[in-house]
Parts: sequence; C-alpha cells; structure tokens
Amino acid sequence: MSSQPILRVENLKAHFRGTYFGVSREVRAVDDISFDVERNEIFGLAGESSSGKTTLIKTIAGLIRPPLELVGGRAQFAFLPDAPTIHQAAPAAVAAIRWRHLSYIMQGSMNVLNPLRRIGATFRDFALPHLGGSAGAFEATVTAHLERLRLDPSVLSAYPHELSGGMRQRVTIALATICKPEFIIADEPTTALDVIVQKDVLGMIRSIQREMGSSVLFVTHDMGVHATLTDKLGVMYAGRLVEVGATRDVFAAPRHPYTRHLIHSLPRIGDVTQRSGLPGTPPNLANPPPGCRFHPRCPLAMDICRTVQPAMIDVGPGHRASCHAISEGGS
Amino acid sequence: MTAILRDLLRYNGEFRIGLLLIMAVAVMSGLSFFSPYPPNDVYVVAPDVPPGAAHWFGTTSRGQDVFWQLTFAIRNTLAFGLIVAVLSRIVSLAVGLTAGYLGGWVDRVLMAINDTFIVIPLFPILILFYFVLRDSMSTLLLAVIMASLGWAYDARLIRSIAMSLKTREFTETSIFSGMTTREILMREHLPYVMPVVFSTTLNNMNWSIGLEVTLAVLGFMDINTPTIGGMIYWANQHTAIVAGVWWWITFPILLVVMTFVGLYLLSVSMNEYIDPRSRLARMGGGAQ
Amino acid sequence: MTALIEAKNISKTFSRGGVFARRRIEAVKGINFSLEEDKPEIFAVIGESGSGKSTLARMILGIHKPSGGQLIFQGQDVDKIPRAGRAAFMARVQPIFQNPFEAFNPLKKLDFYLTMTATRFGGATSRAEADAASDQALRQVGLSLDEIKGRFPHELSGGQLQRVAIARALVSKPRLILADEPVSMVDASLRMSIVNLFGDLRDRLGLSIIYITHDLATAYYISDRLIIMRHGEVVEQGPAREVLSNPQHPYSQQLRAAVLSPSATLETITPTH
Repeated sequence: MSSQPILRVENLKAHFRGTYFGVSREVRAVDDISFDVERNEIFGLAGESSSGKTTLIKTIAGLIRPPLELVGGRAQFAFLPDAPTIHQAAPAAVAAIRWRHLSYIMQGSMNVLNPLRRIGATFRDFALPHLGGSAGAFEATVTAHLERLRLDPSVLSAYPHELSGGMRQRVTIALATICKPEFIIADEPTTALDVIVQKDVLGMIRSIQREMGSSVLFVTHDMGVHATLTDKLGVMYAGRLVEVGATRDVFAAPRHPYTRHLIHSLPRIGDVTQRSGLPGTPPNLANPPPGCRFHPRCPLAMDICRTVQPAMIDVGPGHRASCHAISEGGS
Repeated sequence: MTAILRDLLRYNGEFRIGLLLIMAVAVMSGLSFFSPYPPNDVYVVAPDVPPGAAHWFGTTSRGQDVFWQLTFAIRNTLAFGLIVAVLSRIVSLAVGLTAGYLGGWVDRVLMAINDTFIVIPLFPILILFYFVLRDSMSTLLLAVIMASLGWAYDARLIRSIAMSLKTREFTETSIFSGMTTREILMREHLPYVMPVVFSTTLNNMNWSIGLEVTLAVLGFMDINTPTIGGMIYWANQHTAIVAGVWWWITFPILLVVMTFVGLYLLSVSMNEYIDPRSRLARMGGGAQ
Repeated sequence: MTALIEAKNISKTFSRGGVFARRRIEAVKGINFSLEEDKPEIFAVIGESGSGKSTLARMILGIHKPSGGQLIFQGQDVDKIPRAGRAAFMARVQPIFQNPFEAFNPLKKLDFYLTMTATRFGGATSRAEADAASDQALRQVGLSLDEIKGRFPHELSGGQLQRVAIARALVSKPRLILADEPVSMVDASLRMSIVNLFGDLRDRLGLSIIYITHDLATAYYISDRLIIMRHGEVVEQGPAREVLSNPQHPYSQQLRAAVLSPSATLETITPTH
C-alpha cells in the first residue's frame, strides 16, 4: 500500500489553445511534467507567476475547461485507478471522491464560504452528503473535528463576515478536512494572510495532515513557506518542472541554477551579505526560448542549452533536476 | 477604431445583421433629399393607391406617396433619437464621471438629483409638457426635454465605473505625474467608459424613438413634422386599416421595427468590445 | 540638522457609516518620527494589515489630512500647503505603489507618464527636454527611453514595470520616495534587484526612502531604521538590524518569530484563536 504513490503525474501536458480574433495562439502552460506524491507527505510546488503552477493543479484536479486542453500524459490518483486523469473518469465516480478523498483549500476563503449562510450550514452543505448519519451524529462529528483543530464550535453559528481573515481560512481548512480526505490540494492558502496568522495556519495544516496521514499538494510562490512546511518540493519555471526532491535536500544543495537563485536570493535576518536579482524576465509561454527555457537568464548557459531541452536526471536519492550543467559534470 | 469595426464585422453575426438593418434605414432616410414631393404638402398624388410600380409603397388617403413620406419620417425620427442620445450622454458622462471620481458631498448632491430624475414618472410629465406648450411644442424641443429626463440611469452606471477606476493605482500615478482632475477624467477614465457610453447610446435611441412614436400616435406631438409616429397618427385619423389602406400603417411599422432590431443588435454586439479583457486580448496582452 | 520630514504626534480618525450609526475608526494614533535632510536613509514602516501603515503613507503623500498633530516637510506643514504650492510638494515627494501591473493605465503607452511628469514637475518645456529627463531617469534604474518608448504595460514584466514606475517617480527629482509594499507583487527572481535599486538610489542620488512593508527580511536587508506599527501605534523603533536581531516588544518578537525560513520551526499545536 505504501509503495504506490497516491498521485502519479506522468509527462503531463496541458496547453491553452485560443483563437483571438483570427490569430491562434498556443500557450504551453504545463509542458511534460512528471512527479509522484506519496501518501502522508506535503508536496510543495514552487514557481513564479506564469510559471504554470496554477494550470498544473487545475489539470490535476480535473478542472480542464476551454481554452485549456489536456494534450498528453496522465495525472492518476490511487483512489481512481481506472482513470488516467480525473476529468476522464465517470462523473458519478468523481462526485463520489470529491471531498471524501480529494478536497481543496483555496486562497480566497470567501469563495468557499457562502456569505449568506452560517458556517454550520456550509458544513452541512458540503459534508453531510458524504458523511451521512443523523443530524445529531453529524453535529457531534463536526464539533469534535473543530475541537481537534482548536476552533471554538461557536464559529458554527457565525456568518463568514463576522470572522477575521485568518479565522475564515482556518474554518475552510476544517471544512476541507472534515471527511478525512486522502489528498488535499492547497492553492496559495496563506498568501493573503498576515505573517503571524500565516504561521498559525501553516502549523494547523501540518498538524491535521500528520494526524490524518493525508497527502497535501501545497502550491505557493513563497520559498519561506516551502522551507518551513513541505516534505518534498517541485520547482517550476516557464511551464516545466526544473527540480524536484526532498525539501531539505533541495534547500541544502539546489542543483538547478534557477532553484539555486531562488534559495540564495532569499534575504535572512542576521545575514547581511549582498543578494542579487536574476537578469532578464520570465519568458512568454506563447513563444518560449528554444532549448532550455531558462538559458537566456542562466549564469551557466552553454551552447547546448540554446538548442537542446535538458532531460530530468537523478542527482541524489529522490532528487532530480533538469540542467545540462549537471550532466556535463559542471556543478 | 477601424480594427474594432473590422473584427466585429468578421467575427460577430449580430453586428453584421444589425449594421445591415441600420444601413438600410440610413439609406432610406438619405433618400429624403431626393424626394420629388415636399413632405408637408397633401394631395400631390392620387389618394389610396395600393403599392405598385408607380408608387412602391402605395399612397395615403391624404394624397401623399408612402415611400417618399417615409423617407422624411425616418430621417426625422432618427435625428430625434440621435439628438436625445447625444445630449443625454453628455449630461450622464459629466455627472457620472464627476460624482464617481470626486465622491464626498459632490457625489451625494449629484446622486440626489440623479435619483430624483430616476423616480420621476416620465410619461405623464411629457403629456403635461404637451398640454402646457401646445403649439410651441416642436420635435427639437421634445428632444431636449427627453434628453434632460433620460440621462439619470446611465449616469449611475458611469458613476459606478468611475468609482472603481478611481481606486485603481494608475489613477494615483496620474495624480503624481501632475495631471489635473479634468485631464484624469478626460484622458484616463473616459476611454474606459466610452464603450458603455456607445452601447447605452443605442439603447437610449431605442427608448426615445419608442416614446416619440407613442406620443405621436396618441397625438401628443407636433403632428406637422413627418415622423414615424406622426404617419401612424394620420393613418389612424383616416381609419386606414378599416378603409383597407393597410400599406399606410404597415410600412412605417416595419421600418421602425427594423430600426429597433438593428439598434438592439448593434448594442448587444458592442458587449464584445466593452469587455476590457477581449479588448486587451485583441491588443495581444491580458489573456494568459 | 534640519528635518526632511517630521511627524509630530500625527493621528488619523475615519468616520464610517451613514448619518446615523456612525463609527469612528482610529487608523493612526499619535506617531512621531523624523528623517534628516542631509542623511539619506531607507526608513522602513513595518506592520500587518490594519496596522495603519497605508494610512500613514497616504498622509505623508498629502492625500489624507491628519486629524491631529503635524506633518512637517522641509519646514512646511503639509496640511497647510496652499493649492499653488501643491505641485511643488508633489514633485519633491513621489510614490511607488504595490502592484506594478496596475500602476499604469493598460490602454496608455508608458512614456506618456514619464513625459507628463517631466513637463508638469520636472520643468521640461519641450518634447526634447522631456525625453532627455525621462531617459536620464530610466538610466538610473537600468533602462533607457529607447526600450520603453511606445510600449504598453502588458508588454513588460512586473519587474520591468516596477523599474519604470520608479523611474517615473525620479523624473521630478524628488527628495523623498514613498514606496508602499513595492516588491510584494514582484516575482521572487526579480525582487532583490528592485530592493537593491532602492539602496542604490539612496547611496548614489542621496534620496530618502520610506519603505512600507510587512516583510521583515527585506526590511532587515535594506533599511537603516524602522518603526513597527500595530493598531495605529508604534510599538518599537530603532536601527533596523538592531531591532530585528533583538526585538524587545512582545509583538515585535511575535512578528520576528513568524518569519519563515529553512531554520524556522512550526508550532504544530494550534492555538484556539
């Protein structure tokens, strides 16, 4: 059971295909991405704006709507063994797994919480169909779950606007975890929060994840959050995964020059050494540079980088990176 | 602007049909300048002639050629609609942009006036104007009256857009680049409300033409200026339908329906242009 | 030593709601600080949402009037600047905003704003003079007019746009720059070059910069002095590195402890509120 990953992403490709007034464009937002998420771990996904990380989780969650198209590859959940990707599964099967096996924590808690309904009513809307049982038993389950998360059950009678932003985000986490899902997709859940609240919320996510043994796919651009929270880390650049490995290993010895820059440019209190920005700008995904997409900004760029797309190669136990400089032995 | 027109023509069926209808109506009103008969003269042709080769749309019981009479009527009606729309747009832009941008007590005062105009019952007021003014009531005067009554809804719409524009950071960049309030409204904010203004112009024309026709049919209008409503009024006076002179009433109605549908389709297809995302996509940005 | 800007016990109270049931919100409560004229520095204002730091920024820019206290810029009470003197004040105090993608009208070309600032505040009287002033300012941030002229905002990345925004602020030759969260929406790979640019402007042009942020790590990295605000009050102030290395006030300590880094540890026992 533990040998099989809960999510296996293989050569996943998803492109935006649009025709804007006669001009067709193809944006390769997710381009040939492979990684596994094991049971009982927090897998972090890092990347800047327009790196394709949001498109990647949309594709994994099966939220593929035009102009986004699945072009190839698989994103297979262990609890949906018959479907290569979730949006190819039968609607009834998907309905059965949502919330029960797969749930979401979004950035904007107000998107989840209906402003006109009390929190308790929202809990009933989302979770009662999955948990079943009598109203009394359900109430007891919810109360017990809230108490486990150190939330006062009185929040159930509150309206969303009566709670602070941090409190609302905690409530949405409680809502996402009430059915003890095996897999949780968290999309920048703490980005809008203040730093002190953010740390509490991250602690809450970690506690509930450890207690339930679920897996979390945690997306954020904030490397500080990855360093603190995640077990594994995948770094995306311009639609491709450039490095993946145990978070500790990646931070200790980043192998891709982009990852190295992200980690070394983080200012730290107590460290006054000069930090620098990266020259150039992220590429336009409608017209990415040939070869390695990072080469125009890369301090190590060689001739081969301008023409040949580097493959993912093993650089340590469970640690992969795609850079010609590694295979050349230049690192 | 030409690129927008070209794109709309190429990719939008509603726009094509709407434009075709409005072009036909415009050509019709343009023909009035070539009319062989003066518009206000009666008994210039044989009365009650059915449509045929000599008189395409037949003639009226008053001895007027329906086709040529219609060219004057639609010209006056369109001009009426345009005057109302343009005048009321100017008021609603000035009130909406100023109230939205300045806010505070200026906004409160302007919106109090605005809301008064919204709740005023229009139709009785117009009839009242007719009974007070009687013979001095002209089409132009009616247009001015309707313009001063018909700006309020759209001023509120423009105000809401201006309020959101005010909070956007580029407005502050403009302030700290030394632009005056008037420049910010005219150069920064106006381009954002113009699409809405354009589409409401068409709706406003529909509204004013409809009201004008209604008033004229009931006789609460200067009936000597030929308009669509005026033609229907005279047809009714001569009990055209009962008398079997159906062409006198059918063709004006057909033409005004064409105008309504054409304006409506144009205003609907403008939505494509109004959505700033599609506009940015056309410029090559925005959509990721 | 004369003060470039001095806040004397300034406060700001907003009243919200209708005629009935008005509520008063004290956004800023009695703040004092001062920046010296001949000692350019980066002065960080640290706080979370609701701390009053943005209200303070808007008072310094002269957008909000203080409800109490005095704000003195180069010997002049900001609140009492006559309409005629407003332009001269705006030329000397320029803002940089949070979102570079929103800083310019997406339907307008970027050089428009530079030219505008040069003619209105920079004393340029001809197109050529305005272009020269724009080019000079753009070169201070590592760009040039040739790269920017005729371009729309969507053609540039966030980092480039933020540079253009800084260049626009420099065109009027200001004495004080007020940067409100200037890097929080800039991508990580470009962020530090913007932060370094602030240090560079201080050292090279002798500009003072008020850097408003919630990010303690960049404040530690670049600023000279700081104040930490909470609920409209200053809870701690002093030299940036001293304060952040050894915060004294419990709230500062809490903020300091919440900074995430590879060495940070999560408190996995969740508090109730």
